[in-house]
Amino acid sequence: MTGAAALAMALGLTGLTGCGSSDDEGSDGKTTLKLVAADYGDKASNASKIYWRDVVKDFQKKNPDIKVDVQVINWNEIDKQVKTMIQSGNVPDLLQTGGYADKVADDLLYKADEVTSDKTRANLIPSFAKAGEVDGTQYGIPWVSSTRVLFYNKKILKEAGVKAPPKTWDELAAAAKKIKDKKAADTPYALPLGPEETQGESMIWELGNGGGYTDSGGTYQLDSAKNVETFKWLQDNLVKPGLTYSNPATTDRKTAFADFAAGKAGMLNGHPSLIQMAKSGKVDYGVTTIPGKDGPLKSTLGVADWMMAFKDPGHQAEVKKFLDFTYANKMLKFDEMYNFMPVTQDVRKEMESSGEHKDLEPFFAELDNAKFYPLGDPAWDVISAEMKKSGGKAAQEDPKKVLGDLQKKAEDAVANK
Amino acid sequence: MSVKAPSSPAESRGRGGSGGRRVRHRPRGGLARLGPLPWIAPVILLILAVVVYPIVELVRTSFLNISIAGKVRGSAGTDKFKKLFEETDFGHVLLWTVLWTVVVVCVTMVLSLGLAQLFNQRFPGRRVARWALIAPWAASVLMTAIGFKWMLNQTAGVLNTLLIDLGLIDKSKDWLGEPGTAWPWMMFVAVFVSLPFTTYTLLAGLQTISQDVYEAARIDGAGPWQTYWGITLPLLRPAFLVGVVINLINVFNSFPIIWAMTQGGPGSDTATSTVFMYKLKETDIAESAAMSVVNFAMVVVLVLIFLKVSRWNEEDA
Repeated sequence: MTGAAALAMALGLTGLTGCGSSDDEGSDGKTTLKLVAADYGDKASNASKIYWRDVVKDFQKKNPDIKVDVQVINWNEIDKQVKTMIQSGNVPDLLQTGGYADKVADDLLYKADEVTSDKTRANLIPSFAKAGEVDGTQYGIPWVSSTRVLFYNKKILKEAGVKAPPKTWDELAAAAKKIKDKKAADTPYALPLGPEETQGESMIWELGNGGGYTDSGGTYQLDSAKNVETFKWLQDNLVKPGLTYSNPATTDRKTAFADFAAGKAGMLNGHPSLIQMAKSGKVDYGVTTIPGKDGPLKSTLGVADWMMAFKDPGHQAEVKKFLDFTYANKMLKFDEMYNFMPVTQDVRKEMESSGEHKDLEPFFAELDNAKFYPLGDPAWDVISAEMKKSGGKAAQEDPKKVLGDLQKKAEDAVANK
Repeated sequence: MSVKAPSSPAESRGRGGSGGRRVRHRPRGGLARLGPLPWIAPVILLILAVVVYPIVELVRTSFLNISIAGKVRGSAGTDKFKKLFEETDFGHVLLWTVLWTVVVVCVTMVLSLGLAQLFNQRFPGRRVARWALIAPWAASVLMTAIGFKWMLNQTAGVLNTLLIDLGLIDKSKDWLGEPGTAWPWMMFVAVFVSLPFTTYTLLAGLQTISQDVYEAARIDGAGPWQTYWGITLPLLRPAFLVGVVINLINVFNSFPIIWAMTQGGPGSDTATSTVFMYKLKETDIAESAAMSVVNFAMVVVLVLIFLKVSRWNEEDA
């Protein structure tokens, strides 16, 4: 270890330093918009910066006096970097990332109607537009969406003698048991409750038992009887009998997806990006609605990513031009590039009718009834981060205690938001 | 590495006899009046910038209320420390930090004593063996940890394959998935990467021990163990202390091994206070800063112990 690194570590300063960059206001009469976006690509050829370069090029053809600087940041880093930008008072004009409500709590964002035309907003799929609201006012502008369905490996199910994909929890456990007995797959059901997306898999299972994160009034009830029961069931029927990973709390979604794409997992809950993975792994897969306790889920988990505009730089008119342009012309390209689902009605119509997206049909079917995280609650980001840290333990330790702890943290977060 | 200060130039000049009288008294002016300051100023500035300033910021941050979006919302008083101490995992994390540090340092020191002794013997290929020992040290700690993580992987790991082929276990184990097996493996890796430095420190110490002392012991009829306990160990004390203290600080602050292998999970079950601090950053940066302040205080205590111990050593010599 070098002296400097040793010194820094000895002082316990790891990772608490920030860096700033200067804001450049065009000196030639042009306005420069700064856009920070997440990178959805998994290789150089589909990096998001390629998409944004094209958007900016076409936008500038029509608006030569607005420059757009794009900074694409990978998912692991974007939250940290945005925090640093906010802390140093150096926010971008536009940000495209996973959550928005925490920024509303600090009054950093423009309202959606201040930076988009009525036409653009009318084109948004209503359930998503609604999910962008904090206390009845829309701040978050949906960017892409996805819904979850149950993926199953047809070959494995056949080998195990499972005739039809499961519709209820008990059928799922029975199918998993057959897969295990016949040794048809290493992991009969892949249950990823690791830090990557604990909050997603947990919510899917809780929805299957009529539970969820909040009651109808929006109050958190993470440790409700139904949620505790859900995890108790998972423990007794999947984890303890060895029908899933031995330590779900440390297994991430990407591991589960990779296992499925390698033909090592029988069933799992997945979103559209698994389609491409399964195909390239030559897995003959099927999809169906996710099983609930007594029958298939009536509403599955819907996830959306968001676009938002910061007030601080003050380029309201230019931001509006850019957003209207992008939402009118460039949404289909992004959805097709990554196999995501649309958030605008015209693109949805086009994707559903073009016949080129048969793969996505089961996901479209779930779209209208999809349930979201409590995205509009500024405390949600803290709670979601807490869940990622320890929520998975509910499937291995006493669920009442683990969820009770989380509930306490959630109440603290609500009190401090 | 040795804590013994080299004999000062003044001393040797004094012994030489004539040095003192030759010193000319030049008129002091301009830069010279500042003495050595111009020469050490860059270092002082550097220390101010990279050591003192971050500490000040760190302590300041730990008393702030910062929203998850990153906006400072004013002072939080000591709330963040209170929140930290009330974390369910806090006691558990501290306990494991102590265990982790003590176990890794003790095992490292004991193994290094043996290794240093071995490498101090003459044997064919010693030079090659000494070079080979540097490998775990020269490789990036993160790389080593990631290497072990994959060797221990449940589905793709070489260890499970080996154990199953040997018939020692019948089902592949998720070694890093549960604290009971994850801790020992991480400690193993920590010892593995600490051995080279410690062994070389002790080896250097061994080489400073004069052969005359051993010869005298042999003439007096001391056995190998008697010689080791009575001569080698006491004379090795300075090098041993340096090894202990540097390892204490390094292991206490060790981040990459744990982060690469388990990220402190499940939950915070395999986190030391340094890893815990990093995890807190995701939900509350000020609470994380408070954890850093506590860590910093603990490191300061370690350093103070070091200073005290090394001074005691000086008097002894």
